[in-house]
Amino acid sequence: MKVLNRSGYVLFLLVILLAPLGLNSRWMAVGTTFLIFSVVALSQDIILGKGGMFQMGHALFFGLGAYMTAILNMSYHVPVLWTVPVAIIVPALFGIVLAGPIVHLRGDYLLVTTIGFNIVFVQTLQNNVFNLTGGPNGIFGLDSIHIFGYDLSSQTDIYYLSFIVLLVTFAVMHNLETSKAGRALHYLREDNLAAESIGINTRVYKIFAFGLGAGLAGLAGVLYAMQYSAVSPDAFNFLQSVLFFSIVIVGGSSIPGVLIGVAIMFVLPEVFRQFAEWRYFIFGFAMILAMILRPKGIWPAKFGKIPAYLTKE
Amino acid sequence: MEIFFQQLVNGLTIGSIFALVALGYTMVYGVMKLINFAHGDLVALAAFVGLTLYEQVLGRSVSLFSVIVIFVLSSIIIAMVGVLLERIAYRPLRDAPRLSAVVSALGASMVIENGIMLLWGARMRFFPADLLPSLSWTVGGVVVSFVQLLIFVLSCLLMIALYFFIDKTKIGTAIRASSIDQDAARLMGINVGSIIIAIFVIGSALGAVGGLFIGFYYRGINFGMGWNYGLYAFVAAIIGGIGNIPGAMVGGLLLGLFKAFIAGYISSSWADAFTFILLIVILIVRPTGILGERVAEKV
Amino acid sequence: MASNGLILQNVTKKFGGLLAVDKLNLTVEEGQIYGIIGPNGAGKTTVFNCITGIYKPEEGSINWQGEEITGMSPNNVVGRGIVRTFQTIRLFGQMSVAENIMSGRHYKSRQGWWNGIVHTPGSARDEKENWLKVGELMDFFDLRQFAATPAKSLPYGIQRRVEIARALAVEPKLLILDEPAAGLNDKETLDLVETIFRIRDRGITVLLIEHDMDMVMTLTDYLTVLNFGRKIAEGTTAEVQSNPEVIEAYLGSEDEEDE
Repeated sequence: MKVLNRSGYVLFLLVILLAPLGLNSRWMAVGTTFLIFSVVALSQDIILGKGGMFQMGHALFFGLGAYMTAILNMSYHVPVLWTVPVAIIVPALFGIVLAGPIVHLRGDYLLVTTIGFNIVFVQTLQNNVFNLTGGPNGIFGLDSIHIFGYDLSSQTDIYYLSFIVLLVTFAVMHNLETSKAGRALHYLREDNLAAESIGINTRVYKIFAFGLGAGLAGLAGVLYAMQYSAVSPDAFNFLQSVLFFSIVIVGGSSIPGVLIGVAIMFVLPEVFRQFAEWRYFIFGFAMILAMILRPKGIWPAKFGKIPAYLTKE
Repeated sequence: MEIFFQQLVNGLTIGSIFALVALGYTMVYGVMKLINFAHGDLVALAAFVGLTLYEQVLGRSVSLFSVIVIFVLSSIIIAMVGVLLERIAYRPLRDAPRLSAVVSALGASMVIENGIMLLWGARMRFFPADLLPSLSWTVGGVVVSFVQLLIFVLSCLLMIALYFFIDKTKIGTAIRASSIDQDAARLMGINVGSIIIAIFVIGSALGAVGGLFIGFYYRGINFGMGWNYGLYAFVAAIIGGIGNIPGAMVGGLLLGLFKAFIAGYISSSWADAFTFILLIVILIVRPTGILGERVAEKV
Repeated sequence: MASNGLILQNVTKKFGGLLAVDKLNLTVEEGQIYGIIGPNGAGKTTVFNCITGIYKPEEGSINWQGEEITGMSPNNVVGRGIVRTFQTIRLFGQMSVAENIMSGRHYKSRQGWWNGIVHTPGSARDEKENWLKVGELMDFFDLRQFAATPAKSLPYGIQRRVEIARALAVEPKLLILDEPAAGLNDKETLDLVETIFRIRDRGITVLLIEHDMDMVMTLTDYLTVLNFGRKIAEGTTAEVQSNPEVIEAYLGSEDEEDE
């Protein structure tokens, strides 16, 4: 299974690396969004899949990152590259602050409060608060990003930037799984009381999950802003959160699962674009069917990943 | 002062609609611990079904008979769709992890919403302005329309009827028992499967009435409206205490008033934000809602 | 007065109108194997829940090694060196035996939350150290073969061992066992007794609830007997065995687990 896993990753990386050679501009855009959404979905998986917390407002953090870049670049003329740390830290801080009062809530209540936060966020954006957020049409005409003097503004540039960010995300997810903090999330998800009783401060780790997930989503937000040179409230509304939520549950709480989830929930409807009206109707049925057939997701989390030296006698 | 009373009237009207829709959520959540995300779309479907009944079946005839047919037939149809919904999207997931049922509910919502779009198109449709008398009275600067009064009074009657049904009848007691402990109810001989069908019938029918009220009151309906009312109604159910039927009624009315006052005194473009801030505050301060929740605790 | 042990004074716990624990006084001295026995429903697990912070007693105080721990949250109680096992075995079912035991190393691990994002040489070392400790415990409890097996798929007796191994991974000073022999057969129970003696030999104080009287007689140095939330007797096993109140409490609801 490990060989299959490893070769699967290599294959995936190769496909993504070489895809721009064969894709037209529409599909390059789809591909880039696939990469960006994968980052967001993986960051959501930290909270929902690993932490087991019912989060349905994740687009908020995605949007915060995007808007940080947009506002700083547009209103304060900050070069896009410098907005990156802000677009990570501000959403992360929001994640921590918002999580604080709500992580102890029962599942469904937590769900509704996260929806609430998302809705408040979007409405705030739409109302052009402090004349910064640009109202319902958002902010457009953003600069492109300049790294080491190179102007990275083409679709291909953004594609590969997103790919790099996805790789970074893979690394973070791996580090998380092989660390005390990552394991703590699994324990508190499986049995909160048992986790507390073995010495884990579950509250701290729940908030940590929110902070980390939010920060990563914020980073993806920068990519999004660069992809479109614009941001708008509709891109980060509750329905987007529902999408990311569904990706994690339908795909399963694993890296392959989430990637499959993004492919199914986002790329597939793009493939069937010509069926325009019927797309989502059928899609809804597909979601129901997916849950009936694979309630734990298409590629659920696997446990028992312990160091090899432990299983050798 | 006029604003206050005007918003009071508006608030009670929209609150009545919220309450009717909230009842569907709260009944389902109480017994199945499931947020029926597709409920709002059933409400929307009811409005479209009602409009079609009026236009195609009743030939746009303006009469009391028409009104009665619309309400009764729509409720029956939506009740049947509700039962179908449970059978297809929820029953197979009885023993699955909770989040799977949530996604299934989201999928069902997508199906119904897009089904409406496929059948009736994406453009906004309009309820007739003359089917219900467009009377109104002005009392001390406050305008109360016949429709508003009708909505409020009918809703109250329905809620009172439901309250007695839940409290006094055998089925009602069975519903309350299943809300507290499904397994114990089963052991007591209660056919929980039938109870679930019953709550979907009742909840969907009440939601249908709410949907028709939305059509008559706001006149404009579109396929995406389910989510707006659905989300608000769910918030109302939580505020009143999820699983608690009188709670859903109180929560609905209170939320309607709250929304109307925000719209009147601050601005309607902030109504959603304030509503959810209210919800978040209530959940942090009093998580079991105003009247207390009635859900089985799985310890 | 042993200020190095666990001292409960006047501990009272109510649930609404129900008085579950009534002004309980007891003292566990360091290095003892102390037993709490009594008929079902006597409030024994409630006492444990009060000690470990799951409940906060309405009255009374709980002192451990000179420090007041009444009302501390469960994870802070663990920080004071007290770990408990559950009557119903609360393992992390989907996860492997090794991962379960590793959860016991959480408190001891010196990694910071940032190591969840970026590893350092220090965190890598910490990981290895802790996994090796897990390995040691698996050897001690003869669990090495199950290292990668999901906990919930194992037989009950083995799950019990995993739970105790997990508790020991924390390197506690006081180990609280709630009916550790429940569901075990005779051989497993004998192994358990031996294990508990070995645990005590390591200098760990043991506090346990048990219904198996033979086990209690063999193991414990000192007992407290509860009935309806109140202490009705205390003493050595011999003293308690011949106490008429105790006999009556048990005759009312006999627990014939053996024979």
